[in-house]
Amino acid sequence: MRKRLGIISLFVILFMAFIWVWNFSYQTGREEAYVPIDNNNPVPVIPSETGVFERSEYALEYANMPVDEAHQRSLKDYYKNRAFHGAPPSIPHEVEDDRNMGDNSCLKCHQNGGYVDKFKAYTPVVPHPEMVNCRQCHLPQQTQTLFKGTNFHKVEAPEVGTNNALVGSPPIIPHQIQMHENCLSCHAGPGAPKEIRVTHPERINCRQCHVPNNKEMTDIGIFKRATSNE
Amino acid sequence: MYTSLTNRRSFIKKMAVLSAMTAAASMFPGILFAEEQEKNLPKGGNLDWKKAPCRFCGVGCGVLVGVENGKAVAVKGDPKSPVNKGLCCVKGYHAVMALYGKDRLTKPLIKKNGRYVQTSMDEALDLIASKMKETIKDHGKDAVSIYGSGQWTIPDGYAASKLFKGCIGTNNVEANARLCMASAVTGFLTSFGMDEPMGCYEDIDHADVFVLWGNNMAEMHPVLFSRLLDQRLKRGVKIIDFATRTTRTSMAADKSIIFKPQTDLAVANAICYEIIKNGWVNKSFVEKHCNFSKGLTNMGYGLEDKYKFTDKPEKIDFEAYKTFLEDYTPEKVEQISGVSAKDIKYMAAYYGDPNKKVMSLWCMGMNQHSRGTWINNLVYNIHLLTGKISTPGNSPFSLTGQPSACGTVREVGTLTHKLPHGVVMKKEHREFAAKIWDVPVENIPSKPTYHTVEMFRALDRGDIRFMWIQVTNPMVTMPKLKRYRDGAKKEGRFIVVSDVYPTPTTDIADVILPSAMWIEREGLFGNSERRTQHFEKMVEAPGESMSDTWQLIEVAKRMGFEKQFYYKKETHIEEIYNEYRKHHDNKKHNMAPLEVLKSEPGVLWPYVDGKSTQWRFNAKYDPACSNGEAFHFYGKPDGKAVIWQRPYEPAAEEPDEAYPYWLNTGRVVEHWHTGSMTRRIPVLHKAMPHAYVELNPGDAERLQIKTGDKVKLTTRRGEIVLPASVNQRGVPAPMQVFVPFFDENLLINDITLDSFCPISKEPDYKKCAVNVEKV
Repeated sequence: MRKRLGIISLFVILFMAFIWVWNFSYQTGREEAYVPIDNNNPVPVIPSETGVFERSEYALEYANMPVDEAHQRSLKDYYKNRAFHGAPPSIPHEVEDDRNMGDNSCLKCHQNGGYVDKFKAYTPVVPHPEMVNCRQCHLPQQTQTLFKGTNFHKVEAPEVGTNNALVGSPPIIPHQIQMHENCLSCHAGPGAPKEIRVTHPERINCRQCHVPNNKEMTDIGIFKRATSNE
Repeated sequence: MYTSLTNRRSFIKKMAVLSAMTAAASMFPGILFAEEQEKNLPKGGNLDWKKAPCRFCGVGCGVLVGVENGKAVAVKGDPKSPVNKGLCCVKGYHAVMALYGKDRLTKPLIKKNGRYVQTSMDEALDLIASKMKETIKDHGKDAVSIYGSGQWTIPDGYAASKLFKGCIGTNNVEANARLCMASAVTGFLTSFGMDEPMGCYEDIDHADVFVLWGNNMAEMHPVLFSRLLDQRLKRGVKIIDFATRTTRTSMAADKSIIFKPQTDLAVANAICYEIIKNGWVNKSFVEKHCNFSKGLTNMGYGLEDKYKFTDKPEKIDFEAYKTFLEDYTPEKVEQISGVSAKDIKYMAAYYGDPNKKVMSLWCMGMNQHSRGTWINNLVYNIHLLTGKISTPGNSPFSLTGQPSACGTVREVGTLTHKLPHGVVMKKEHREFAAKIWDVPVENIPSKPTYHTVEMFRALDRGDIRFMWIQVTNPMVTMPKLKRYRDGAKKEGRFIVVSDVYPTPTTDIADVILPSAMWIEREGLFGNSERRTQHFEKMVEAPGESMSDTWQLIEVAKRMGFEKQFYYKKETHIEEIYNEYRKHHDNKKHNMAPLEVLKSEPGVLWPYVDGKSTQWRFNAKYDPACSNGEAFHFYGKPDGKAVIWQRPYEPAAEEPDEAYPYWLNTGRVVEHWHTGSMTRRIPVLHKAMPHAYVELNPGDAERLQIKTGDKVKLTTRRGEIVLPASVNQRGVPAPMQVFVPFFDENLLINDITLDSFCPISKEPDYKKCAVNVEKV
């Protein structure tokens, strides 16, 4: 009798212990683990690599595509609808749907480009299709008049090919690349301005030969070598 | 060789960094010789980039300003800023162009015989000081006032408060944030006893569901909205747009729910009803950390002069609260709000699901509300009942509209009842401030005077004779504007306006002072997530323009307060900030030292032991928690947050037979507030040249109105004719119209109503009755 009672109480204790352990693990399991998001972004030692190889699947097509000389965009047009070089371009055509987001409106054409008969031009390709709130930064222009005049000084855009380190060496990238890390979207295909269209889009790994503008990086002195003179 | 774990770890880290460097160097062979190549860089290729917070909204994006030959010429997003991670909106990208409008004010102007005459800064400042002294002598201290702004930098607001409250001795200090953030403040104070959000923007990266309460984020806070969209792309989060109008936000959201104006009060209560009914209450959290209270009801709407209201909170218990909610079953609320019971249950289910982290976001929809404090309380109720608060991803988050509404107006306390630390009504707070300000404590009056609407009413009545307006444009933004414009123009009023461009407000000025704006001076802003950001002077201000801070100091000196305004020209910003920090020298509100702010893209307060506090009231993250529990709402004496019993009450003026439509006002993505800056940016003005009235397509068809037709809006205050917009940017619900307020040529505020939330005194710009006719 006592033995049986002992066994029963042992099982009761074991069962209670199980309930307790199970409850504890269940409760802690429900607690969300907080994975800190590194807020203090590390110093950008090298410019962002995002998008470098994007659109490279079209590189061969770009290389083989005949140039439609009658409908080329020029660099002048390219800069015309930017307040300064590097500024988000405004939208040079009417926008029918003022309410929808990019994936339902703008991206229909600007994701991959192509010829638009209405404008007699090729659609420029967006370098950051993942950002769909397009009109957060890009606006269609409704009027050409100003509210009041402006004294804003539009600085000259940097030129390409004037900055090679050596004669014949690959030109360095003269512009900021933030927000347009994807080279092929502007430098290849029929929508690209003729002056900056790359002759060799099939090589894909652009920054193998073309160095980005150094000022975009923060100099942390890593590569400096003490000279013997000092 | 023996190495301890930490050493080994740091060694591995170093190796990883080194190998990354090597890899990087081999990937980009040119990188080693970049310096050499840079020599040949063409002109314009390499600008000098300096960091600043954006000049415009309260998101507080970090921007990098490109400067060349002493001119600001370009902007890009600061990739290091945790706020925007390198992305801006169209206003931010073109922000520097706001400095270079052709009609920039460069010389002080004094009105003589109805005409403005150019003068020197010295003469203008002398005149202001003597006029203030004269007014005080003739009409008393409470006849002079200052009306500032959430665009004041922290030193601007601090100097104003010190001069008026500490030195002159009047509580006539107000700011336009009363028109935009006051309900958020009273919401925080009544629910938690301490102002400003407990969470931060990082909540966005953790939350599973976002509920936007009357907040068109896609246009008003586009950078944060893009962060939501980014999270949806990466993690499939849900976005619910709960609004009165179909906007870009509704189109992007996973679900758009439309409610009738003012009935958000009922819907919030219905969500709480569902949470309790379904047993989704986080019982242990509520028991440990919450009290229940009710306040007075039928408060009125503040439409009459000298209207006064003081709430009388009364503790109740959970059962009483539960009984109160019986009136707000989803089925009953469906009748009031037009939101189907199914949709109410849908929202409640997300809030109630213990496995979903929910973030509520709101801005003017809830704050510019004749029951603004109540609706803020009610949304906190939802988060408190479910315990979804103060943890990463669980966050009721009140957004702001101005770059330093939090930093200056709320933290420095440039409101009539506030001091940098505490309120004027409390003796110990007055003593504390007087000591730092180096003034006798008797100087600071113990009674608040006028809130913004009442201040302009007092100006109209003649109780206030002198008003100094800095960085704001009340002659576009005041509701029922005509009364206040006529009042300000009356004989015997002296108005000083400090601004950068001529505006309808400078039109009523007796003296116009040209200000140095944004990066033309050194300053600090504080954004919605308690982040304080510093910016240095990058370019020279045009002509005789002077920062608002220095204008105030010069006048203070002329009034005989040299002792309190001892600051030196070269270092005054640093001196003022260091003095200001003393007011918040405690674990609950400590501000970071200036050196830290200069080197980092902003820092969140409370900044304790060299660390920002991301989640307040949570013992894991907040060192000010001291009750030994997981949460401590230390703003309240007993450490508990308050769940408020707040009923649904109708708006001050609802549509009737004579005025059958609702009139709603607001902003557009292109323009910021009254457009005095953004309209001078060609890209933005060309994109949005003038205001319009948005109609529901059904209403437009019945009235035979097409886009572009002239439409007359008539309210009990007056009438205005605007071009119609049908099915364009936004679609209001049937029998509602929407008008943006940025256009000084089409002043919608001439016909809006000056009713306000009796607790916060913030006007309701979103609701009044209007008639619509085709002309």
